[in-house]
Amino acid sequence: MEDKRIELKKIIMDTRTLPTLPGVINKLNALSENDKASVQEMAKIVASDQVLSARILRLANSPSYGFYRVSTISNAMILLGVNVVKSLALSSSIFAIMEKNSIGLWEHSLGVGVAANLLARKLGLPECEEIATAALLHDIGKVIISLKCVEAEQEILRLVRERQIYIREAEREVIDTDHAEIGGWLSKSWYLPEKLSEPIACHHDVASSQNHRIKTSVVHVADVLVKASGFGNSGDRYVPEIQQVAWNTLKLDQGIMADLVDTLEDKLVEVRNFSLEMMAE
Amino acid sequence: MQKIPLMLAKAGMVLARDVFRGDSPTGMPVCGKDTQLTDALITRLDQMDVQSVYVEGHPVWEEGQRSFDELLGELDLRFEKCRENPLNAMLYDIYKAHLTKSMGGEGGRQTD
Ligand SMILES: [Fe+2]
Ligand SMILES: [Fe+2]
Repeated sequence: MEDKRIELKKIIMDTRTLPTLPGVINKLNALSENDKASVQEMAKIVASDQVLSARILRLANSPSYGFYRVSTISNAMILLGVNVVKSLALSSSIFAIMEKNSIGLWEHSLGVGVAANLLARKLGLPECEEIATAALLHDIGKVIISLKCVEAEQEILRLVRERQIYIREAEREVIDTDHAEIGGWLSKSWYLPEKLSEPIACHHDVASSQNHRIKTSVVHVADVLVKASGFGNSGDRYVPEIQQVAWNTLKLDQGIMADLVDTLEDKLVEVRNFSLEMMAE
Repeated sequence: MQKIPLMLAKAGMVLARDVFRGDSPTGMPVCGKDTQLTDALITRLDQMDVQSVYVEGHPVWEEGQRSFDELLGELDLRFEKCRENPLNAMLYDIYKAHLTKSMGGEGGRQTD
């Protein structure tokens, strides 16, 4: 059984056919390790990619992110912070990979990104932008399954329909792994930091998260919320259980959740419009 | 409570939230909640660049919009597999209350 999984991992992660992040993301990631990297240097790298610049300015000016009237990349970086711009750069590349694939999944991912951001801010957590980025990427494994295992994907979808089980249960049955684990593999092959790869890999099993359990919990709860809301299409029609360990880790209570649902539902209306706009581009 | 574009606001509707200039939630509100809209007031809000307002109840129906019962039915279906879990049961109640409120049912008024 274990061999089959390793074999499949090889096929799935065959780098020759794996979606790659644009070189500009790798350059940005490399720069972040280096403290001397100035905002100007980063801005230059981003500005060298016209499509990316346009997307970043658009995202920076979108009401979903709550910032307005940013007209240059360096202003975007000064105003939003370098990390935000990196997240935005990353998410717009993810969008490029996802949009061809599935609008429903893109909307689900965008919704979970927004929900995670709201929750993280509400709880006063550090690194909200990283959490939002991990949330945006959390189901990237589903994209890989649909790119690399076309037949298996059909079988998975059939099982989900016929037996009314969760997509992850069907994945385990058909390919002996699931989209969370695959997302973890992919984020390693993209050299994403562990604070992103762990929440992606553990968002359906928070207890298995070792070093970034708070971030993982936020992504898990945000995923449940967006499914509860019925926004987008994750492939699951049923809301999964809120894992107690995530609830306890974040010290959630009914009041926090009720406030969050009110804010989130408001935001999701904007997210829908924003997503339609991006589709129309 | 329903969020509607100012274009669709009509005299007689009642604001469910404070209105801010240019939709930015900073500074002083230009018009308080519980105010009943008049044609003159709507024109003034328009001149102040207000794009949308929150009003009591659910006065605007778009074509193809689902009814409260349909939405509640969909909510029930989504929660079918997890209602036993107490945390999910709580989340269900929160969503049901939200739905009731946003569709202008009981609890439509915000107290704060
Ligand atoms: Fe997932
Ligand atoms: Fe998800």
